[in-house]
Amino acid sequence: MPSESAHPSDASGVPRGLAEDRVMKRVFLSPAVVILLALSIFPLLWSLGISFTDMQRGGSTIARQAAAEGIESGVGFLGLGFELTGRNYARLLGDTRLHSTVRNTMIYVFFGVCIQYSIGLGLATVLNQPFRGRNIVRVIFLMPMMMTPVAAAYTGRMFFDSNPLRSPLAHFFRELSKALQLENNISIPWFTDLGWAPVAILIIDAWQWIPFMTLILLAGMQAIPEDIYEAARVDGANAAQIFARITLPILLPISLTVILIRGLEIFKIIDVIVVTTGGGPGSATESLTLYIFEQALSNGNYGYASAIAYVLLVLVIIFAMLFLAAGRRLGGLRAS
Amino acid sequence: MTKKAKAKRRNWRSSRRPLWQSALLYAIVIFWCFIVLFPFYWLGTTSVKRPIDVSRGPKYIPYRDFQPIPDHWEEMFGSQRESTERHFRNSLVSAIGSTILSVIIGAMAGYGLSRFRYFWGRLGWDNDNIAFWIISQRFLPPAIFIVPFLLLYNFFGLVDTYAGLILAYTMFNIPFAVWIMRDFFDGLPVDLEESARVDGATRWQAFLRIVLPLSAPGLVAVAIFSFIFAWNEYLFALMLTNYQAITMPVLIAGQNNTRGIEWWFISALTLMAVVPVIIMGLLLERFITRGLTAGAVKG
Repeated sequence: MPSESAHPSDASGVPRGLAEDRVMKRVFLSPAVVILLALSIFPLLWSLGISFTDMQRGGSTIARQAAAEGIESGVGFLGLGFELTGRNYARLLGDTRLHSTVRNTMIYVFFGVCIQYSIGLGLATVLNQPFRGRNIVRVIFLMPMMMTPVAAAYTGRMFFDSNPLRSPLAHFFRELSKALQLENNISIPWFTDLGWAPVAILIIDAWQWIPFMTLILLAGMQAIPEDIYEAARVDGANAAQIFARITLPILLPISLTVILIRGLEIFKIIDVIVVTTGGGPGSATESLTLYIFEQALSNGNYGYASAIAYVLLVLVIIFAMLFLAAGRRLGGLRAS
Repeated sequence: MTKKAKAKRRNWRSSRRPLWQSALLYAIVIFWCFIVLFPFYWLGTTSVKRPIDVSRGPKYIPYRDFQPIPDHWEEMFGSQRESTERHFRNSLVSAIGSTILSVIIGAMAGYGLSRFRYFWGRLGWDNDNIAFWIISQRFLPPAIFIVPFLLLYNFFGLVDTYAGLILAYTMFNIPFAVWIMRDFFDGLPVDLEESARVDGATRWQAFLRIVLPLSAPGLVAVAIFSFIFAWNEYLFALMLTNYQAITMPVLIAGQNNTRGIEWWFISALTLMAVVPVIIMGLLLERFITRGLTAGAVKG
């Protein structure tokens, strides 16, 4: 998000530099803009075009039919010359697998953000207190973020194995049920149950990314000047009141920002799912990104995959707009 | 209450807390440290367990519950050495290459947006609009690039090459790099550059000799984020490589189906993959916090 702080002047007050600066300012910005235009904007528009064709790996169906009938068709390279069709978008409406992946993705985003934000905020509050060994603890808290998501997913798979001979977590549940003398051992079928499988994925993602929330919220808390707290204490506010009336409101803009960032990241989730459940059972854990990947790479349905990708893009834009609008209404994501 | 008494009470309040609060604080800290560290511990012990100890466990404490063996690590650096080295090198090259490019390009664009005034007449965009456009690219779902990248990379022969991966990761990292660096340069006084220019330095010299050295924390933060992103990236590495350029995450994820799941070997690989990131993170942790605070709190 662009900051609103006033930009230092152009420094064009130095007359000698005027002509030179006119060139230099292009030199500075161009590489970034060129790369983004070529590798981001162009593919974006191109895939919108592809989503209106029946493009498939090895050519389009129409072209192949035409070739079989001996008709020379104008099908050229890179999808140019394919016939336009709205079929992909019509197909979206009836695709129940797509609907369940959309639902799963929304579940991941909503619950993922809620869990990660609330625990992250709690841990940041803890780390904001002075205590012995705080610096080491802060580093330890950051460690999950450094693990490759694929590796975190494998680790999660070891823990959520429901066999108590292999998984320490299942073993713990078994011992717990023994200690409580329950009739049935607690045994959670993490990856095989329709309800539990998304929970396992949410937990793995949360384990890995709560540190991110903690890190940024802590930075925000530490930027709050101490005299505000002093003043509140002098007025007789207790800790809970200070937290609710001072810390939270001041953290609101930065909270919106981290929630937005994490939410947008969760929209992209694929690696954890590939490693743990592969989308199953059924398509209970499949995310939109995984579905698009499968349509494009396993099935070679380039046109349809692009149409689904645009559904994802629209969802992401709606999500981002909600946050930006909220941020603007609540005094801007920019205020400190 | 007199002023003095109030001040005294305030000091007491801020420097001490009731015992139960301290107990609760330490309980939470210890509990969360356990949640964070135990999976790492489990990976470490699993990587030195015999297969039978993995499937007939769970065995917790080495030398008491099970006899640790170095076999899997030896396998990784012995019979599997070629594969381990190649994948590790691929990850390193693509991560470092894209990090260098992102830092350079990001710093340049960030500097431009912070020090010059742009106006894209046709769109009516000023600096803030351009910056917003750039950062918004970071949040596009990568899934939208799957099909066009497949076609483009096939067409230009970039599939399974370092150049291809580096290019893709640079594209993903630039928005964040520009954003952080612009915020960073905004906080840097212009006076130094101006006096250097009065002394006859060109704009470019001032940028290289004065601005860049002063912005080391920001550059380091950008470098760390770019490196970690590229190191951990999975989707594009999976899609754009098939043999020569396969990276660690794809190698690890692929352990799924080759010889059945060998948890001990996966654990060793996983720890290998974490090492560079942990080293960077631990060494430069204070830079991360500083760089982030510069951007996040103000931004």
